[in-house]
Amino acid sequence: MKKKRDSVLGMAFFGPALVLLIIFLFLPMILTLIFSFTDFFALNPGLTHFTGLDNFFQIFKDEDFRKAFINTVCFVVIIVPLQGLGSLGLALLVNKVSHCKRYFKVAFFLPVVMSLAVVSTLWVQIYSPEGILNSVLSNFGIPAQPFINSASQALPSIAVMSAWQGVGYQMIIFLGGLQAINPALYEAADMDHATAWQKFKDITLPELKPLCIFVFITITIGAFRMLVQPMVMTGGGPSHSTYTMVYDIYETGTVNWEIGLASTMAIVFAVFVMILTVIQTVATRDKEEGNVNKKTKKK
Amino acid sequence: MKKLLIAVLLPVIMAILLPGCQGKRPEPGSVAGYDEGEQYLSIWVHSIEDTDEGRCYRESVDNFNEKYNGKYFADIEFIPRNDSGGGYSDKINASVMSGDLPDVLTVDGPNIAAYAANGIIQPLAELEEDEKGEYLQSIIEQGTYNNQLYALGAMESSVGLYYNKDILKEAGIEVPDAGHPWTRTEFLDILEKLKPVMEEKNGYALDMTFPTGEATIYYYAPFFWADGGDFVDETGLVAEGIFNSEKNAGTVGYFKTLLDKGYMSKVPIDHLFESGRAAFKFDGAWEVNTIYNSYPDINLGVAPYVTGDSWSGERYTPTGSWAYAASSKTDNIEGATELVKWMSGVESGLLLWEKAKNFPSTYKAFEAIDTFQTDENYSMLYKQLSDYGHPRPKTPVYPQVSTSFQQVLENCVLSGAEPEAELGKSIERINAKLKRYKVQ
Repeated sequence: MKKKRDSVLGMAFFGPALVLLIIFLFLPMILTLIFSFTDFFALNPGLTHFTGLDNFFQIFKDEDFRKAFINTVCFVVIIVPLQGLGSLGLALLVNKVSHCKRYFKVAFFLPVVMSLAVVSTLWVQIYSPEGILNSVLSNFGIPAQPFINSASQALPSIAVMSAWQGVGYQMIIFLGGLQAINPALYEAADMDHATAWQKFKDITLPELKPLCIFVFITITIGAFRMLVQPMVMTGGGPSHSTYTMVYDIYETGTVNWEIGLASTMAIVFAVFVMILTVIQTVATRDKEEGNVNKKTKKK
Repeated sequence: MKKLLIAVLLPVIMAILLPGCQGKRPEPGSVAGYDEGEQYLSIWVHSIEDTDEGRCYRESVDNFNEKYNGKYFADIEFIPRNDSGGGYSDKINASVMSGDLPDVLTVDGPNIAAYAANGIIQPLAELEEDEKGEYLQSIIEQGTYNNQLYALGAMESSVGLYYNKDILKEAGIEVPDAGHPWTRTEFLDILEKLKPVMEEKNGYALDMTFPTGEATIYYYAPFFWADGGDFVDETGLVAEGIFNSEKNAGTVGYFKTLLDKGYMSKVPIDHLFESGRAAFKFDGAWEVNTIYNSYPDINLGVAPYVTGDSWSGERYTPTGSWAYAASSKTDNIEGATELVKWMSGVESGLLLWEKAKNFPSTYKAFEAIDTFQTDENYSMLYKQLSDYGHPRPKTPVYPQVSTSFQQVLENCVLSGAEPEAELGKSIERINAKLKRYKVQ
């Protein structure tokens, strides 16, 4: 009887969330999968045909999609180490300082709570040809850089800005991890006259490893979803150098009304990110196990 | 367990789905002002109510209801639209699927062809010749697809070739009248003359950029039209040989010359013209109001838009803005047409000018506004619109044409790609999108 009452109560709590999830998450996911095999056109849904794998062939032939794919991967390759190592470095520094610790924590975290659109608009000014960054550079005798107005510099410029915006979040996670490390480990290392680097390499890093995996995966997935920055700062240009996959999906679906094609892109994108995440998880897990084995061997 | 699940889920699903079933027409009396015997007309606009533009739409609808009291009742709904065009168009797309379109809706000028070709809007009821004659020719052309009038502009717009009077005076350059614009070769000579003057001011002769989105084709398409080029044929279904014509490749090359000769900056510099560091700028008609209010130190003039070397008076200057159309779902096309006529008519146009400084779409409204007779800049823009206004390409694949145009200019001028190759790549993409309409 109690069991039944519990399950009713559980359902009452879980039910509304389940309904919302079904309507706004699972149903759209299934529909996207179905649409990806059709030529669904938003302005004329009545004329939808099943087109098999046509869309998949079409998007891989499409130069814009390939470019968007490469841009996205490049962005991920730049931002993951930048933001990941940056947040770890900041966390170590903030953890070390004895004064104004709270100030630094807040200061580095502040950009995270700001809207990405606002941050992007702000950085458009910073990166502008006569903006603050070029003024600073000119003081060091460096000629003015085009930054987001150049096909070669736009993507790295956006990556730096995005890392600056997001780094505080991962810093807080690492900071939590650092503070949870048992101080006795460091005391023991001190007794063995370990250097700072040895302590970092043999205590801090292994202790933070589970967090590192989490941080790197979240940064990777977040980076793949990049849309707001190029939309606000460059419109995907110059010469499509900041056109990302999500931007392509958005434009194909809403501007060109090709819901079928956009769904195919979304499916390919989701599968790609999923595969990458699995690889990342497996690779880091293997290493972890490898390390454990190495340690046991050493012992 | 199954029963339990249903018992819990059913009320929630009902609660979510029921509000979605409100597409039915309201009963008389259920909406303030809607009385027994009146025909109900719903209208959607692409704006929020709490803006100058939004308030104008509200007032125009109120005036319509007052004028047609006892016959029609128009019920306006405001649907915000974001900068990249989402929001409002998403709502239209969703309503096309659910069949919940209103009687009248606003459509962006270049999208009229796509909406008409896909049966989202229907031709308006027949307009008398004198009724049609009230509208600027560009408004009628923009709203016509397959020889049928689908939409009437809520407002009109144009792009001006703005110049800094003080700088041109300093360089000893005379500006021609509207009937004798500079040809593009003459314009190169003018820019050459201005180059040393502007270098002294740490600026450029021309403030020109190729922004993504709609602006690039809107600003610079006249260079192509005025030189005998175009983008699609009359049916809007053929781009091959037109978009990628030799003429167009030549015009792209002309833009390249502007950069190569150092008349414009390769990277966009904010407020170059507004800070007195550029002699010329192409921009929307709103620029006049911006300069008057925010940069009073700039001595602004509007020159006639540059034309082609072999131009002989054809229409070529930019036009087009949001328009009202009757949706295909309305069964009251007479009433919807009356509402479209009212919302785009003289009184509504005067309101929009007064409150939001948007150009009206009728000759009468332009003539009733003093500014267009007394202010030389505004009168030049009006003259340009009425005498030389040309609609943007009328094709159901307009978004692809517009995007390709911007990419071609950006890639060729700023990144040094070959015009023929870039135009060729674009034509493949445009053709891919056109396929859908050729099958029909």
